Amino acid sequence: MKYALFPGCVLEGAAAEAYTSLKKVCDKLGIEIEEIPNWTCCGASHAQGVNDFAALVINARNISIAENMGLDIMTVCNTCTLQLRTAKARLDKDAKLKEKVNKVLKESGHPYEYKGTSQVTHFLWILDEHPELLDGKVVNPLHGVKIAGYYGCHILRPQEVMNHGDGKHPEYLERLIRKLGAEAVWFDASRKCCGFHAQLAAEHDVLTVTGQIVDSAGRAGAMAIATPCPLCQMQLDMYEPEGREAVHSHAEVPILHLQQLVGFALGMSKEDMGFNRHVSAQEKLKIG
Amino acid sequence: MDVKLRIHRFVEGKKWVQDYTVTLKVGMTVLEALIEIKEKQDPTLSFTCSCRSSICGACSVRVNGNAELACEMLVENLVKRYDTNLLTIEPLGNFKVIRDLVVDWDPKYARIKKIKPVVQPKDEFSKEKGCKQSPEDFNKYKKYAGCILCGSCVSECNKNTLNQADFLDPFVFVKAEKLVADSRDKSPEEHLKAVVDAGLWRCFNCQECTAKCPKGLDPAGAIEKLKEATFAKKLDDNVGARHAKAIYDDISESGTLDESKLNIKSEGFLMAGLRAPMALRLMRVGKMNPLDTHKVNPEIETIRKIVKNAEAAAKEAE
Repeated sequence: MKYALFPGCVLEGAAAEAYTSLKKVCDKLGIEIEEIPNWTCCGASHAQGVNDFAALVINARNISIAENMGLDIMTVCNTCTLQLRTAKARLDKDAKLKEKVNKVLKESGHPYEYKGTSQVTHFLWILDEHPELLDGKVVNPLHGVKIAGYYGCHILRPQEVMNHGDGKHPEYLERLIRKLGAEAVWFDASRKCCGFHAQLAAEHDVLTVTGQIVDSAGRAGAMAIATPCPLCQMQLDMYEPEGREAVHSHAEVPILHLQQLVGFALGMSKEDMGFNRHVSAQEKLKIG
Repeated sequence: MDVKLRIHRFVEGKKWVQDYTVTLKVGMTVLEALIEIKEKQDPTLSFTCSCRSSICGACSVRVNGNAELACEMLVENLVKRYDTNLLTIEPLGNFKVIRDLVVDWDPKYARIKKIKPVVQPKDEFSKEKGCKQSPEDFNKYKKYAGCILCGSCVSECNKNTLNQADFLDPFVFVKAEKLVADSRDKSPEEHLKAVVDAGLWRCFNCQECTAKCPKGLDPAGAIEKLKEATFAKKLDDNVGARHAKAIYDDISESGTLDESKLNIKSEGFLMAGLRAPMALRLMRVGKMNPLDTHKVNPEIETIRKIVKNAEAAAKEAE
């Protein structure tokens, strides 16, 4: 099983531990990943609000490189997944738009045209579709560990583009948590948006909801929150102290990248998973 | 098979939850179940409905936390989705409740008025010559004319749930984009200024509105189109717009986001300076290193050409 990896900007920066842990976990699971050479930012759910067509062509370029590699694309960020899949969905159903995009790619000197031959999927979706990848590899089942699964928004919505499972009632993250031996706990704020994309423009509200999510998971007895999105992870982890202050909470909950949780169940340590790079609740994590 | 509807009741200040049981029939909608309860079990249960054909938008309610148009959502599909024969029915979220499942639209109409929701015809139009536009121009906003004002889009809107005072309902943004994209309007700037002032850039981009719209209008997409239009009209002097522009520009500058400069570009040196404690927090765990240099994509010249040529093509298509 081999994928062209679209890491996304934060895996090269503030969430670098999400990249190192992903590589180790994929290696152990037998998923071969090859980074898409010279990929660019997907637009981070903001570029289309500046120039929609330019953002579309940029993602057509990203996908076309993977097509030339002859591989489907694996992402590990909800927002990157949404941006790439949205571009693909628009181009695959509109031949005229595809032609227009390919004209721009060609006249700009990009060597490949967008064809529509590579699928775009997320690490979590791969594990859900191929549970056999974990068979015999969970050497450290997380028995007795309560995990709050936090999907984030862009892996669920809009359903037309993000159509893995039912976006209004998803269950696949909990299914994976249970497969790792842990208990998936239900918490009230599990479907709230972390607000990452409006952190600067609506700071007070975003910090409030950050606090609500962590507090809600803490009250449900979660020993950690695990999320398939590095942007949600950064928002909840980096701003956990301000979130606590905003909602007058005492909750201190470690916020894990999903691949770190998988890594712990595969027998890897906190050091292996780069947990020392987390901001909040370092000493509270009892696994790994 | 029997289905239990757990309905949130609210009458004259008193709140309670009441269970009703209906026998599931093939093709039974949520609205038909509610009507059956009212007609056969409890005439005091209140809800609104009219056309029963997904046209009037009067019957939206929340089922198991998600807004649904009651007249088109089949009970059997909900039983299947949630794998249970117990469904919880509440009034729409982010509305003031009048009674049971009936919500108050008056405050919402007041919010619609904020965007000056009327086409101001261009001066070239007159009673004699009419107010015509080409089919191509009509198609630019046709989709948004399909809004039935059912309120589903705001029910789970994350920003509205936290604070409605500095943000609008997604259906109001849809209405604004319909007006801005209408070639007959002489002053799209008026609507744009109003939506910027009313919180355009505070959208969380959570996509709940798009997921809940029963007409597939993509309110989140309408918000993005409005943002794009504010750049064209130079109404972009605010932190949200500068943040989006900084991300967009980074694609041409290096190919990827330069996290170290994002706040300075978005908020200015002074505000970004006030965030020094956060920078120190990130440096402490190795998430930020002021000595790091941001990598430049080896194909940056091609990427710049792509952005430039795409911008030119978009302009030509206007």
